[in-house]
Amino acid sequence: MRRLSLLLLLLTSVAHAQIPGAERIETVTLGNGMTIIVWPDPDIPNVALYNWVKVGSRNEVPGITGLAHFFEHMMFNGTSTRPPGSFDKELEANGANNNASTSNDVTIYKDWFPRDALELVFELEADRLRNLAFDPKVIESERGVVYSERRLGVDDSNAGRLMEQVQATAYVAHPYSIPTIGWPSDIEGWTVDDLKKFFATHYAPNNCTMILVGDVDPKKVIALARKYFEPIPRQAPPEPIRTKEPEQQGERRVLVEADAQTPLLQFAYHSIAGSDPRLPALELLLRILVDGDASRLHRALVEEQKVAISADGYLEAGFDPGLTWLFLSLPSNGDVAQAEKALDAEIDRIRKDGVTAAELNRARSQVIADFWRALATIDGKADQLGTYAVMRGGYQKLFEAPRAYEQVSLEDVKKLAAEILRPSNRTVGLLRAATNEENK
Amino acid sequence: MRAPRFVKLLASLVAGVTALISMTAAAQSAGVKLPPYERVELRNGAVLLLMERHDVPLIAVNAVVRGGSAVDPQDQAGLSGLLANLLEKGAGKRDAATFADTLASVGGLLSASAGTEGIVITGSFLSRDQKLMVELLSDVLQRPQLTAAQFDSVRNRQIEFIRAAKDSELESLTPLYGKAALFPGHPYGKPAIGSEAGLAAATHDALMRHYRDQFGADRLILAVVGDFKTGAMKQSLTSALNGWRKAGAELPVITAPSKVTGRRVLLIDAPESVQSYFWAGNVGVARSYRDRAALDVVNTLFGGRFTSMLNSELRIRTGLTYGARSRFDRFTQPGPWQMSSYTQTKTTFEAIDLAFSVLDRLHNERIEPALLASGKTYVQGQFPLALETTNEWASALTDLEFYKLDRGYIDGYAASLGAVTSDDAQRMIRENFPSSDNVMLVVVGQAAVLREGLRKYGSVTEMKLSDPHFAAARR
Repeated sequence: MRRLSLLLLLLTSVAHAQIPGAERIETVTLGNGMTIIVWPDPDIPNVALYNWVKVGSRNEVPGITGLAHFFEHMMFNGTSTRPPGSFDKELEANGANNNASTSNDVTIYKDWFPRDALELVFELEADRLRNLAFDPKVIESERGVVYSERRLGVDDSNAGRLMEQVQATAYVAHPYSIPTIGWPSDIEGWTVDDLKKFFATHYAPNNCTMILVGDVDPKKVIALARKYFEPIPRQAPPEPIRTKEPEQQGERRVLVEADAQTPLLQFAYHSIAGSDPRLPALELLLRILVDGDASRLHRALVEEQKVAISADGYLEAGFDPGLTWLFLSLPSNGDVAQAEKALDAEIDRIRKDGVTAAELNRARSQVIADFWRALATIDGKADQLGTYAVMRGGYQKLFEAPRAYEQVSLEDVKKLAAEILRPSNRTVGLLRAATNEENK
Repeated sequence: MRAPRFVKLLASLVAGVTALISMTAAAQSAGVKLPPYERVELRNGAVLLLMERHDVPLIAVNAVVRGGSAVDPQDQAGLSGLLANLLEKGAGKRDAATFADTLASVGGLLSASAGTEGIVITGSFLSRDQKLMVELLSDVLQRPQLTAAQFDSVRNRQIEFIRAAKDSELESLTPLYGKAALFPGHPYGKPAIGSEAGLAAATHDALMRHYRDQFGADRLILAVVGDFKTGAMKQSLTSALNGWRKAGAELPVITAPSKVTGRRVLLIDAPESVQSYFWAGNVGVARSYRDRAALDVVNTLFGGRFTSMLNSELRIRTGLTYGARSRFDRFTQPGPWQMSSYTQTKTTFEAIDLAFSVLDRLHNERIEPALLASGKTYVQGQFPLALETTNEWASALTDLEFYKLDRGYIDGYAASLGAVTSDDAQRMIRENFPSSDNVMLVVVGQAAVLREGLRKYGSVTEMKLSDPHFAAARR
């Protein structure tokens, strides 16, 4: 990474962010529709590769819930030219590490490797995109792995259990109701045919955006992309998701009774898509509510009223309108009704009175500082570039982000708070120990 | 997610020395050399380490005050953690709320946590705010308010965080039970996050005493890395810290813990859990261990990467679990070597048997040359990614100073890795990896189902997940 001057930084807080090196980004769309974006950064002799495939649990239906995530696992389990396990073994023997993740919207395959391994990584990535194989024995063993992942993150986690129930309750029509990890009976039930169909539908080069950041020559990367990826044939694009979630008609509530020492409370509000121009305002609003010890909810509910031990938040900004979440963890003797009332009062206040200029400025400082922190590593750059390229309408928008945060007004935030944080627009989730003897 | 990551909530509570030892996780690439930096020792013993890095307009700070949970009173485990949390709850003229406002208004980050051998304060500021950074840091170290009211709040919250982790993060708890069982009565056995009982027993008076005795300039190592001028930063930090007192007490000397011989079992009853979370460990090596490169390679092959022997058997071949791994924690004295995994309750014994058989295989079969080469290349290839940001370099600098390591620890590592031979690897296994019949085994799961079956592994001590401590009562 090259030097950024202090002056430049100060300028970026009022004008378009000019990130040194960003002008060297090169992008190409291959003949088969696959997009490649390269950001050369010779700071360390390594490369971060993110391949974004536009498929997630949003693309599932009952019976195959969790399949996008299961597929993410299967992409490491052998091709017609390489036996199961070979992908990882070859990468590791050449100094590379990898991982992958699946969300409601996308599946991302990630490799971090020494620059000399570039061609090998392309060969392996192209091979699995083109020649993936499905060994029934491997499918069975991987089913166990995914089930264990589910037990870890959901069944043995009160926070995970409640979130799954709230998500499922918040949507009556849109597939965002589906838990990405999958419902247990579907994890048990997937077939080889389901996998083959899913692969043919979604794993096409024209459904992929590949980002490379690191010590590479863009010309060489593009030449290798033409050699390894361009011969993979384009496919008919998957059916669009037609269903739109209808307007919620009143608050929904879900109660989970569990063996809990510490009760949990979650609010999930129907919100906006990642490409919505109001996203910067929503991000700032959420920071004002929950980012750090100076945030409203931490100060009011954790420090002053002590009805919670932590207050956090998260917003989903995918292809379709997602949820804005608020999470409270309560102390072991905590009164859930009292905590809910206190949270509700804070939300009500922000809807009615908006936020202060000091709060907005503070949130802006936080978001701008985090913007630079995110660009401090090749991994962070690949993540950000991909997020903006795939979910926000173009990678160039990343560099407009500081200006977009600058332009958010007090009125924008107030309007958004009033629109989104309505009681009739939310699902309230409670988790506490069973009170009914029968349920104990 | 394809491969597991460390559980969130508790990860933030046990940070500290985890960050401090980040360099043990990976090894060195030929390309990575320690950049120049300046070391300054103040007359009160405080050590400053200053490294300019001008690639982004950020400054990172990493301060370590020697002590940590190792110096907590035996009956008040968590006192250092409380002190760390309280440092941010008002300092200098700013009360807790003003302090938080000041920090957030410039987008700064500053947080403290206790590790096993030190309280670690990490921070990140835009370079334009360096004056404020020095002021806040200086207040946090020398003038924390440590009010009784904040003490009560923070302590109560910390107790509840542990209870919340018991509800949602069982995997993150096994090392706490494991270390308590492996190091009974030894400073390394005390959980850095404290225990419910230890925190409940902590008093404000004890905290004030702890700050006076265990906190001071002669315990401080402060690394600042980023976009600043060394001369000005040195002057500013020197004038801010030169007048600070020394710690009231001598730093206690930690003796080497004894290895476990034979096999014992600690069962923690979590009646509602659907998986069993298991951990097996013994005493490993100290930070100063000479053959670090060879050890890193062997542990990577055994349980430190996706295709490791452990993960290959427990996850890839059998599908018993989402993840299985092993690691060494290295302190001034030998810390734990540990392997851990989890599986649904009904396959608990199958998974534990398999993990033990993989450990025995490590001892009984020679590592193939191609596999050894793969391990060396992997460790080498990943290392530059661990020393990329100003925060990572700041942590590395405090690390070198804390453990009295020379620059060869970084600069010479590539050569050390390259030189690892098959005989070295076999020696590492013999000397540092226990056999499966010499470990402390910890299992968190349904005792009613597991109790009988676990006896085949050794004598079983049992406790409840809801017990307010991580150590079983001494018999």
